[in-house]
Amino acid sequence: MKLALAGAFIATTFLVGCNESGMSASKRPDVAPYMGADNGFMAKGWKPGDQASWNAEITKRNQLQSEYSRIK
Amino acid sequence: MARMKFICDAERCIECNGCVTACKNENEVPWGVNRRRVVTINDGVIGAEKSISVACMHCADAPCMAVCPVDCFYRTDEGVVLHSKDTCIGCAYCSYACPFGAPQFPSSGVFGLRGKMDKCTFCSGGPEKNGSVAEFEKYGRNRLAEGKLPLCAELCATKALIGGDGDVIADVFRTRVVKRMAAGKNSGADVFGWATAYGKPNAPAPAAKPATGGKS
Repeated sequence: MKLALAGAFIATTFLVGCNESGMSASKRPDVAPYMGADNGFMAKGWKPGDQASWNAEITKRNQLQSEYSRIK
Repeated sequence: MARMKFICDAERCIECNGCVTACKNENEVPWGVNRRRVVTINDGVIGAEKSISVACMHCADAPCMAVCPVDCFYRTDEGVVLHSKDTCIGCAYCSYACPFGAPQFPSSGVFGLRGKMDKCTFCSGGPEKNGSVAEFEKYGRNRLAEGKLPLCAELCATKALIGGDGDVIADVFRTRVVKRMAAGKNSGADVFGWATAYGKPNAPAPAAKPATGGKS
């Protein structure tokens, strides 16, 4: 009985040794663009951290790509 | 929430490569890598030549994300497909999966070893702190965080390349198509996309031309 228990213990120990350590694909923390950039190239006309003002600025720039809206 | 996309109007693109140059300069892209390039079809055929500017299309169901063995890609809330160069192993699976040839690999070292993947970021940097030096050196400028759009689109002289919120730029493009149709010109609605490359639904695909000597 003792021999069987010892054998099971040794086998378990070896099997645990064959195991792989857990791996998880952690997602990269990325800050939303409306939080602004820490440099001197920020466009004027919107407030960093305010998503609504960022959306408005981006939409305004989007419309600048349409000359039909620019020449009105 | 805005969903960022590019559209290239083949009726307007004049193959000036301004978008390519702007991208290279703004992001200080490594030598040998072109995040954006201009593709011309029917080159030299009068009246049939069309050019489009191609880069990462930031697919909604991106095949590069699906095949990456180390899961280095992620999608932002704005629909931009980005990746982490710290996780990338440079295996180039994404390059085989991408139908647009967007993933690029710089050669590094004296033997031209393949480096980490580099691609268009929609000028929105990477996982590093917005606007930081580390982000710029790895991924280029983060213009979105500066309240700007990608420089290639904002700089385009003929406004052939438009980029930004998908809904808005689709409206911009639709307005052009309607105006052209009203003027009796080629609308250009079916130029950018599958119809040009693979034929229209009721017409056979254009036949492949046999190679005629020269270098293979």
